[in-house]
Amino acid sequence: MSPVDSRQAGSTDHADSKQTTRLYNILKKNDLEPDRYLPGLIDSALAKVSDSELEALVLQIVRSNNASTAANSQVSTSVHVEETFQRFNLTTRLQHGMMAISIVILILTGLPIKYHEAAFSGWLIELMGGIEVSSLIHRIGATGLILVGIVHLFYITATRAGRSDFIKLLPQPKDLFDWIQMLKYYFHRTDIKAKFGRFSYIEKFDYWAVYWGMIIMISSGSLLWFETEALKFVPKYMMDIATEAHSDEALLATLAIVIWHFYNVHFTPAKFPVSKVFIHGRLTREEMEDEHPLELEEILVERKRQNEKTSAKKRVNS
Amino acid sequence: MKRSYCLTLIALILLQYTNGWAQTNHPDAKCLICHGKPNFTVTIADGQVKSLYVDTSLVKASVHARWSCTDCHAVVTSIPHPANLPRVECTQCHFSGNKVGAPQGDMYDQYRESVHGLASSAGKPNAPHCQNCHGTHQIRRHTDLESPISRMNVSATCGKCHTKESSDFDQSIHGSEVIKGNPDAPICTSCHGEHEIRMRSDPASQVNAANIPNTCSACHSSAPLMTQYGVRTTQVKTYEDSFHGIAIKFGQKQAANCSSCHGIHDIYPASDARSSVNVVNIPHTCGNCHKDANANYARGRIHVDAEDPEAGIIYYIASFFKYLTITTLIVLILNIILDVRRKLITRKKPE
Repeated sequence: MSPVDSRQAGSTDHADSKQTTRLYNILKKNDLEPDRYLPGLIDSALAKVSDSELEALVLQIVRSNNASTAANSQVSTSVHVEETFQRFNLTTRLQHGMMAISIVILILTGLPIKYHEAAFSGWLIELMGGIEVSSLIHRIGATGLILVGIVHLFYITATRAGRSDFIKLLPQPKDLFDWIQMLKYYFHRTDIKAKFGRFSYIEKFDYWAVYWGMIIMISSGSLLWFETEALKFVPKYMMDIATEAHSDEALLATLAIVIWHFYNVHFTPAKFPVSKVFIHGRLTREEMEDEHPLELEEILVERKRQNEKTSAKKRVNS
Repeated sequence: MKRSYCLTLIALILLQYTNGWAQTNHPDAKCLICHGKPNFTVTIADGQVKSLYVDTSLVKASVHARWSCTDCHAVVTSIPHPANLPRVECTQCHFSGNKVGAPQGDMYDQYRESVHGLASSAGKPNAPHCQNCHGTHQIRRHTDLESPISRMNVSATCGKCHTKESSDFDQSIHGSEVIKGNPDAPICTSCHGEHEIRMRSDPASQVNAANIPNTCSACHSSAPLMTQYGVRTTQVKTYEDSFHGIAIKFGQKQAANCSSCHGIHDIYPASDARSSVNVVNIPHTCGNCHKDANANYARGRIHVDAEDPEAGIIYYIASFFKYLTITTLIVLILNIILDVRRKLITRKKPE
């Protein structure tokens, strides 16, 4: 590994890179693996000391830590394999997947009804085997969507991860400031992008748009699905309201997904043409630094705390 | 036998040629010896007495005034006539390219494919032929008020067989307007067609469930026509946009068409208590398809046009979503454009 490569492990700043090179040379000279020790050293405020002093200090640190703490071994592996951070656990990914499939089904069977005058609508209905079949498929999609809704409500109330995510998804003043900051950035008033936590205002918008959409679509759709039963209790104009809202919100949701969600997730220059995060749920360190720096910071602080805890435990045990 | 037939034929031909100079020898004179007597009758097998009297004044006033009896009754060549004479075939003159100038279009072909023509060729004794609608000796143009196929008389003509339909129609808003002499009002043939009348179940029929909206909209989507009567023209469009209309369009046959709710021959204005779409009758009408339909079905407009402020709350809901969608998309798309622009600029810089 060359000194230049080692820059990957740390910052890209010029002063830092100079220091990294010094540390790298010292470690090499003393037959110590730079891959293993370098990441743990670069953060130390050693820049101002002379080379010989630095060497002595390095050796001292290395020897004292030579009990190969978990921290060192963890950081050192990150140099070999690109470290990734799990942002979405399996449950969330499954919820997302099921919702995506349901929505595609609902759009394909619903839009031809809304745009019944378009030639493609007749073609699509014909392809599915007639309006009776497409109506049935629409109800299958609806069942999927309703199930996701129920599972999600359970997830955000009954599980720790869900509750934590839900709290982090609640809109905060910071989201507005972040947006203003990004607008400034877009107009070159600043070169500093807003620093996002676990969920940026974009993701929060997506989440709450879906939340709103689910309420509108499921409530109106249920009325229309169980029309005969519903009309025993509600007047006909309620059904008309449901029809109108169902049709209009369907369009809004479709456009929001196809334009906004797809752009931000897949078509944005860095990810084009497709991002696989919805499959594996992981982000690289670089992506984390770019998109969720505050979340990364939190993860690292938490990791450090955990490490300290384990090493403290080990010390007690030994 | 054959010889006497030939002789009669020669005699008839001779009679034809002598026509010019002897008025008393008019070809019809011979026929009228018997058929000119008002009490000339025959008793048919089942005891029915059938008049064989021909009122020549009817023939003289008809479009066939210039033709003589045997021009149509061409099979009558001997006296006394053989039993079971076939009925007159109009096509002996009314065929394409005929030399006597008898009008002929596609009517005969249309008739043959129609429900009436099919019944006739299947040998059904009651199947109507040309004469049943157009008349026999008194055939007149449809513009002639005396004609059985004039606007005013069509319902009665069809009603000779279709009794209930005709009487329902005569009481309906369409029928009563026809009786008043309103030239805009539809008659039987406006919806069912004339020679091409087909079974309702035939997809080519104008009154097939799938074609009903088209048939009604021929008049009901015409603003100049409907405004005179204070009838909305949006009804067709709103129906087509409703789930009933969409389902019909995409081949669902049970879905309601215009006549499922408004009735067929017995159509009345909604304000009329006899109307199937009168507020009081709506639960019953909807109940034909929607099990246990109740008064809730009558609460709210039926033909809803969300773009019309008259639609009330539905209009406001539609407007709310319209502006919500427009503003949301403007903000989102602008944000995307700005984001893409800045990202591409930043990307170029390091190079």
